[in-house]
Amino acid sequence: MLYDYLRRGVQAGVIAGLAYGLFMAFVANPLSEYLHHAQHDHGHDHGHGHDHAHAVSETTTAIVSVGSGVLWAIFLGGVFAIALYFLEPALPGRGASSAFVLAGAGFLTVSATPWLVLPPAAPGAEQLYTVEIRLAIYVGLVALGAFVSVAAIGSYGRVASRHRALGLVAATVPIVATAVVLSTVAPTIVSHPELAGELVSAYQAMAALSQAAIWAILAASVSWLERREATSTAGVVGPNDRRSTSS
Amino acid sequence: MAGETVADRIDAARAVLTPIQAATGLTFAAGIAFVLVFLQDPLAHDAMHNFRHAAGITCH
Repeated sequence: MLYDYLRRGVQAGVIAGLAYGLFMAFVANPLSEYLHHAQHDHGHDHGHGHDHAHAVSETTTAIVSVGSGVLWAIFLGGVFAIALYFLEPALPGRGASSAFVLAGAGFLTVSATPWLVLPPAAPGAEQLYTVEIRLAIYVGLVALGAFVSVAAIGSYGRVASRHRALGLVAATVPIVATAVVLSTVAPTIVSHPELAGELVSAYQAMAALSQAAIWAILAASVSWLERREATSTAGVVGPNDRRSTSS
Repeated sequence: MAGETVADRIDAARAVLTPIQAATGLTFAAGIAFVLVFLQDPLAHDAMHNFRHAAGITCH
């Protein structure tokens, strides 16, 4: 059964990966290149960071970025499916809704919680800390995100047995509390001195919405594949039975 | 399905997976995560540049 979950997860990852790969090719790649060039044009007076020579051509970057996007979705699909296999009995809801709860938890853990401190950076961003420090912060925030997800699902479970709507409110409490505390306490680590604020907001919204879309497609595809397999195995039993009885 | 617990699922996984298979799977997943999210080698960094920015990957 574990293998069935993993196979559906990878298939769902391929579906999400095709969508995200197209998004990378037609939206994210051109926009990232544009922002990169826009800053080169008036950033020559100080020779730091993004003025370094590129190790690869722009075409290579574009192709590898699309491939990385596809691989990223397949990777998330596999991890999502394994987590769904082990955690399904503990998740609220039946069938598809438990898959969407887990996808929400995944988005909160891998992306949303880390972004409260380390928001998505547009090309040319200036970072306060070195890569090693940010890496350590990121790993810590993923752990925090997992903890917040568990707390949210746990408080939903405790309250929802008495009142379902109150359970939903209870589930948002740990999430909102974390968001408020982290966004007020955390220092500004990423800044974009050479880009308009609206442009940076749009870029960050693009990153957030596209990652959320990957998780939504994964949850929808996994539960669709599961339903489809359940009905097709029910249909296969008929002919097999007939063959075994006639022979 | 009903009344199943997380512990049941772990037992079921133990029954079909050898420790070697589990370790191989984890290593493979960790490898993909490392390359996509953490690898800072200039060649890899520049080639995945647009993806890492657009996916909001922190370690960039």
